[in-house]
Amino acid sequence: MSRAVAERRTLPAPSGPGMAATVVVLAILGAGVWAASDLGINVATLVDSVGNAADFARRMFPLDFPSAGELLRLCGTTLAIVVSATLLSVLLSVPAAVLAAGNTTPNAAARVGSRAAIVLARAVPDVVLAIVFIRVFGLGSMAGVLAMGLHSVGMVGKLYADAVEQIDEGPRTAVRAGGAGRSQELASGVLPQVLPAFVSTALHRFDINLRVSVLLGFVGVDGLGFAIASAFRELDYRRGMALAFVVLVLCVLAELLSGAIRRALTRAPLSRARPAPGRISPPWTPSRVRRNVYGLVAALVVLASLWGAELSPAGFVDGLSRLGTTLGLFWPPETGGILPDLLTALWVTVKIALAATLLGAVLALPIGVLAARNVAPSPRVGAVFRGLIVLIRGIPELVLAVVFVVLTGLGEVAGTLALAVGAVGLLGKLVADSLEEVDERVENAVRATGATRWQVFASATVPQAAPAFVGHVLYQLDVNIRSATLLGIVGAGGIGFYLQNASRVLEFGVVTTVLLLVFALAMAVELIAVWLRRVAG
Amino acid sequence: MHDVVTFQRVSKRFGATLALDEVSLSVPEGQIAVLLGLSGSGKSTLLRHVDGLQRASAGSVSVLGTDLATASGARLRALRRRVGFVFQQFHLVGALTVLENVCTGALGTLRGPRLGLFTYPKRVRQEALGHLDRVGLAEQAFQRADTLSGGQQQRVAIARALLQRPEILLADEPVASLDPESAGQVMGLLREISAEQNLTVLCSLHQVDLALSWGDRVVGLRSGRVVLDRQAAGLGRDEAMAVYSAVARVPAAA
Repeated sequence: MSRAVAERRTLPAPSGPGMAATVVVLAILGAGVWAASDLGINVATLVDSVGNAADFARRMFPLDFPSAGELLRLCGTTLAIVVSATLLSVLLSVPAAVLAAGNTTPNAAARVGSRAAIVLARAVPDVVLAIVFIRVFGLGSMAGVLAMGLHSVGMVGKLYADAVEQIDEGPRTAVRAGGAGRSQELASGVLPQVLPAFVSTALHRFDINLRVSVLLGFVGVDGLGFAIASAFRELDYRRGMALAFVVLVLCVLAELLSGAIRRALTRAPLSRARPAPGRISPPWTPSRVRRNVYGLVAALVVLASLWGAELSPAGFVDGLSRLGTTLGLFWPPETGGILPDLLTALWVTVKIALAATLLGAVLALPIGVLAARNVAPSPRVGAVFRGLIVLIRGIPELVLAVVFVVLTGLGEVAGTLALAVGAVGLLGKLVADSLEEVDERVENAVRATGATRWQVFASATVPQAAPAFVGHVLYQLDVNIRSATLLGIVGAGGIGFYLQNASRVLEFGVVTTVLLLVFALAMAVELIAVWLRRVAG
Repeated sequence: MHDVVTFQRVSKRFGATLALDEVSLSVPEGQIAVLLGLSGSGKSTLLRHVDGLQRASAGSVSVLGTDLATASGARLRALRRRVGFVFQQFHLVGALTVLENVCTGALGTLRGPRLGLFTYPKRVRQEALGHLDRVGLAEQAFQRADTLSGGQQQRVAIARALLQRPEILLADEPVASLDPESAGQVMGLLREISAEQNLTVLCSLHQVDLALSWGDRVVGLRSGRVVLDRQAAGLGRDEAMAVYSAVARVPAAA
């Protein structure tokens, strides 16, 4: 030892990139605080809205449900559109993923092309696609199916490609070593490994699309969303809120159902049945019967949806011939002489997203912590908070926005509060999940030293999950910027108002300008996130 | 007996590393040749050349009369059909049944992609079940592959290779992930099958004792060069161990 222990540092010297990352995170937090106060979100505003709430409740109750037949028709239409759209996205995503994944792509050009297509699909919001497709195919289901189906490829295709890249190459090599061709290699070596992830991602996207379908109703896609939009336009809050309640129930049911299916997928089916001598197909055990019944039901649901969405191939082909002319309307981008207004509105959107992310994080952190199985004070508390997160996830952001527009009046505050509450659903879940994924052995090691529950949490659980937290908050900011754009459509502030307005008065060049602005913004956030992950990870 | 595998001055380069350095080797039909050597000595690379999973940078590889320097596409797949491969990590699809994993061994003789046991012809399933019976796992045919122990999974992998009706079986450290008892079972199985079907086996191993007791011939590799090539009978344990020492010089002659 060259130096006495007493002379050496007991704290590490600060590192350059680490400091920079800390500064950026603090800057984002500071920006959130500033944005919240600048938007006038404070205790006084919240107290004011309590008064409005009583008024709102009077106009909302009793809820006015449509007749059972009408309600069934609306639910059926919405579900048919959402199932068809999700199916479309899966059908497009599988080949896109095979081309985009580094280990299955035939060549670099195909890989870059496919990745670019996936990024593009994610970059164009489904509402904008719906606006375009409604001009092409008319009001109804087709536009909704295509808009949600294409936009979903941005998420589904990316996750599918990631799943393909994460496979164990062993079985594939083994199949190739046995003389299999390329398609056999994919079917026998790759597909069985990624199938659970594929199904689980599709179900997840189905949940998201169900919520999105409400928003699409506001631009003219058939179903529950369309009925909600009509009701609110006529200030019929009793009918509107009743339908919003139906959507909430559907969303929660879908979330519970898809959660159950996803859990069943990850559990290994026990098939210990002894084969009879000479038998070469598996015996009909209860679990095999059950799996076949599920498969049959799923197939029937898909068929019923395709039929229910009333997709006409003739209408599709007819529309395609008009696609070129319609897209021509959107180019070149125009400012319509309101560029300063657009930039001001964009700035408001940024503030909404920042403030909503901050408020959402403040709400989501404690809720997520209490929902994590390994941290919650008791299993019951954990279950209650998990349930709360699922419930909030079930509420479409648009319904939240409408409620807050009524409570706090038109404008930014409504949008911010809606997104903040909505963030609890996503961010709370991510926080809870990343806490549950930490290495238990580390926690046990700290516990073994005689540490208290809080000490274990602080020195074993949090350090393992913290990098993920930062990532999740940035992801939420990214999601909020996109959502903040769209909530303007119902009058919740920001640039979305101009998006809706421009498409209504047929200034499609302005729609393109708005899109490009939002896209640039989202990319900037994405770049910051990528950089932070590299520095922190 | 004629040679089924012939390497002539084969070299393989990965960037700056020379994985195989002028390897010349002939394996006659029905022989069990064991490759010994440290990790990174070129054992796996050598085996992967026999199946055309890797291609020589220089020299020539001839397997069952096919020149691997020129074979590609359908001709390469036709050769692979005749060469079985067993891996250290078994390489089974855990989520599929044991029987379906075995059936994938027949893909080289079938057309088109397959997923699900029912997509394989009945005769393939019957034959697959027969091979599972041969390795003692017929009772587990409809279990998921990942519910089996390591030794059982390796036996499934052998059944999969047998379904190809191979003329050569390559085994890349087939027992390195197994406990000594399972390792003995798997090596015994390979030996029996080789004798029953006059099957040529090229097998890389880490354990000198296993090599001496189960192999006909021992080939030692160090840094991509053949440093030992002798009949197993009469080869002393110390002579074989010398392959692992970095300094000792072992005469490279049979």
